[in-house]
Amino acid sequence: MSYLVCVLLFGLMVGSVGVAWNPSPYFAAMGLVMVSGVGCGVLICFGGSFLPLVFFLIYLGGMMVVFAFSAALSAEPYPYGWGNRSVKMYVAAYVLGVGCAWKVLLGKWSGFWGGILDESGELLVLRGDMMGVAAMHDVAGWMLVLGGLGLLLTLFVVLELVRGVSRGGLRTV
Amino acid sequence: MTPIQMTFSTMFLLGLMGLTFHRTHLLSALLCLESMMLSLFLATSLWALQLSTINIATVPMLLLAFSACEASSGLALLVATARTHGSDHMQNLNLLQC
Repeated sequence: MSYLVCVLLFGLMVGSVGVAWNPSPYFAAMGLVMVSGVGCGVLICFGGSFLPLVFFLIYLGGMMVVFAFSAALSAEPYPYGWGNRSVKMYVAAYVLGVGCAWKVLLGKWSGFWGGILDESGELLVLRGDMMGVAAMHDVAGWMLVLGGLGLLLTLFVVLELVRGVSRGGLRTV
Repeated sequence: MTPIQMTFSTMFLLGLMGLTFHRTHLLSALLCLESMMLSLFLATSLWALQLSTINIATVPMLLLAFSACEASSGLALLVATARTHGSDHMQNLNLLQC
């Protein structure tokens, strides 16, 4: 099981390097899709059930879709690919840097880092993280209201930013 | 440092470096910002799962909500840039240049 976690962590690193040094925003969005899928797998390996689902549905299905069609705003007729010479050099530099950092900082780690901590010892329907998110509606109810008000405020911010003609954020073109 | 902490710390730093050294498009910078947020979501979720402090599981949910606000504001700025300058190239944003 800890080997699976190792493979997924490696996938996270590869995807992050791909997002950080992307030849074109299309490939950065693809890298983010890969990173969120693999991150969902990491959370599942550590016993989460609700948080990985939230990750997939809200992050991938909500935010990434919006980024994907916004990539049409940065469209070029001939986008760079991964095989471009300057891109390959920088990706190699990033990978080398990450490898050196891992070698230096990790050293010898001790302890049982790859296992799932499960206190009850039996198979439950209601897992820990689902109960934690339920606390958001119960104990942290005011935080939920604040989050909703913040989202409403963001809607008005976005509408003001893209308003044209006279009173908005766009110059008259 | 355990490998998991090293992973999401490195993911955050990689996203930060991608945000700092972005070359041409504004959308690339916004996507690196999203990868930073993703590493923070993973970090707080693993905190809730590994240390069994299940009340901390509200933190990733609220983090996701506020990062959706931030992403939508960034995309609105991208749309505004594309409508005034014609593209989202960073070199066109030079009004403050002397």
